[in-house]
Amino acid sequence: MLQNIIDFCNYWWFRYLMVTELYMVEKWERVTIHVIFAVLFCLFWYFNYSVLLSFTGNILGITPISTIIDQQGSKIA
Amino acid sequence: MGNLYGDNGGVVQEHQQNSDFVNYCNKMQGNLVADMSNCGSGDLRARKNGFKANETEAKPVNGCLKNCSTNSTTCQQAKGKVCPNSSQALLTPAKKLKELAEEHTTKTSFEEVPLHTACLTYLGFYLLMILGYINQLLFVPKVAKEENRDGYVTLYDAFESFYSRYVYRRVRDCWNRPICSVPGDEVTLKDRVTKDYGWSFQFTGTETRCLNLGSYNYLGFADAKGPCAEKSEKTAREMGLAMTSSRVELGTTQLHLDLEQLTARYLGVEDAIVFGMGFATNALNLPSLISPGCLVLSDEKNHASIILGLRLSGATTKVFKHNNMRDLERVLRHNVVHGNPKAGGKPWKKILILVEGVFSMEGSIVRLPEIIALKKKYKAYLYLDEAHSIGAMGPNGGGAVDYFGVDPNDVDILMGTFTKSFGSAGGYIAGSKRLIDYLRTNSHAHCYASSMSPPIAQQIYTSMSMIMGLDGTDTGRQKINQLARNTRYFRRRLAQMGVITYGHEDSPVVPMLVYLFSKIGAVVRTLTTRHIAVVGVGFPATPIMEGRIRYCLSAAHTKEQLDYALDVIDEISDTLGLKYSRKPREPNPIEY
Ligand SMILES: Cc1ncc(COP(=O)(O)O)c(C=O)c1O
Repeated sequence: MLQNIIDFCNYWWFRYLMVTELYMVEKWERVTIHVIFAVLFCLFWYFNYSVLLSFTGNILGITPISTIIDQQGSKIA
Repeated sequence: MGNLYGDNGGVVQEHQQNSDFVNYCNKMQGNLVADMSNCGSGDLRARKNGFKANETEAKPVNGCLKNCSTNSTTCQQAKGKVCPNSSQALLTPAKKLKELAEEHTTKTSFEEVPLHTACLTYLGFYLLMILGYINQLLFVPKVAKEENRDGYVTLYDAFESFYSRYVYRRVRDCWNRPICSVPGDEVTLKDRVTKDYGWSFQFTGTETRCLNLGSYNYLGFADAKGPCAEKSEKTAREMGLAMTSSRVELGTTQLHLDLEQLTARYLGVEDAIVFGMGFATNALNLPSLISPGCLVLSDEKNHASIILGLRLSGATTKVFKHNNMRDLERVLRHNVVHGNPKAGGKPWKKILILVEGVFSMEGSIVRLPEIIALKKKYKAYLYLDEAHSIGAMGPNGGGAVDYFGVDPNDVDILMGTFTKSFGSAGGYIAGSKRLIDYLRTNSHAHCYASSMSPPIAQQIYTSMSMIMGLDGTDTGRQKINQLARNTRYFRRRLAQMGVITYGHEDSPVVPMLVYLFSKIGAVVRTLTTRHIAVVGVGFPATPIMEGRIRYCLSAAHTKEQLDYALDVIDEISDTLGLKYSRKPREPNPIEY
């Protein structure tokens, strides 16, 4: 069972490496690219969270839930 | 290099048809002409530039109509089949041309790449480039440093060397593999390993016997035994290995003269001339035929030797889309009407159409009858490179000319090589006596290059006589039939598997699209472990997008060998994900 899952993951990992051409590069290059991928992902995430979210919120007139909680919190206090 | 993206254009707008399916329909109707509307039109789409567009160009050839009426009776008797009597094609009526265009469309397939694969291929390529730059920044490879060159500019510095260092080098084990046997139906590879990711290789001392799906040994004449080899050996013992002189000095023997005569007879033309090298036949004879002020219309997929010859000649070259008659006619008409802009619109000195019989990377066959009609209409000359088609195509092995049953005299210059079907070396040019005499006095390859080695000439002579049946056996004919059968079977089985193959169903060159560099590498490596040797082709031989595996079939292959190969290919295309095709697949088993 476990073996099956490992095999399945290995196979699709191999297919993933193949379509991104990472199959034929050296190990450290593979790691570098994945680190770059991860950094890019984090940057995007942060950007979306901090900029895009409040921006769309402003445009659509939605108050973010965190602000509401903060307000509630301050009322109680 | 320049057209990284542009090349797809010609391919993409070719046609996408399920040839098997259409043929099947045709048989049902007992009709050789594809009637598209009857054949499940939902699945079959004619592209814009497919046969629909060609209808317009199939106009009667001026002045030919009169002749047609006298000759059309013979054609009608032959009804749809290619007339064995070759003179009829000269008088092809318009309707016939239309049928031919349709037939070509149904038999040729250039399936488009799925969108996500296209995106991934570009993404992967950019990743490789980025990694290459990072790599180059961090570690300057030894080969990239040019030492002891203070004050000099760098000698080797181009995108090409970057490309070969950081893309090609990574899968370099799949190319330039040394072999140590005759490249017959099987071939022995010399094993090697790399410990530094392709920068250098060490031989392990072992060998791998592989089924050979890579060599251009179409008729299986590449052999160390048998009548051809024996006669060549005898000739070598009598005459040595080299003539050490050019043809116009002391390099002509009776053997050369006989070979030229036999070649002319084989092709059904007046005369022929042979050269020691196929590549040089193109590269060195084109400059003697054309000069600045001439116009050449060259197919975009033409071979490097042709392109080199055209550059040497200094003639103006216009490239037309691969096998696209509409584009060819457009360029032709424009240039006939407007003339040479550099000479103030005066007519071009000559106009030459330059095509190949079978295109070695696309697996497609030239649309010869239509080109001949166009050439006659606009009074242009036609140069046909039959390197891959001679011997391999046509009921008598006479190349594309024989395959379409056209009159060889309609092609002004017939060129071909002996390196492929004949299992030898060298090339020929055949045509009218005047053309050949002209070349005998003007061709650089004839006057300055050393003449063909006698055992090489003997090999061609023997194999050609065998194909023609002059040796009193039907070995040649059997080989031709075997190749045709192998081709059909192999192509249809691949189509049934669901991989994308390019080209014409009768062409023995079968490119299978895998798109990505990694997949080229993985397929070649995996197939080698399963004892099958194939050739992977990638950029720069193809557009970046279209990495492919090329199978070359041979009359030497048996059905069992092909079955083995096909089973393995089926298996690995599942595991590696090569089944890109979205065409309907033939549900029934395919007969050999
Ligand atoms: C179309 C074409 N012309 C010419 C040549 C050159 O012939 P050779 O290999 O005999 O020098 C080739 C070889 O691949 C070819 O494909």
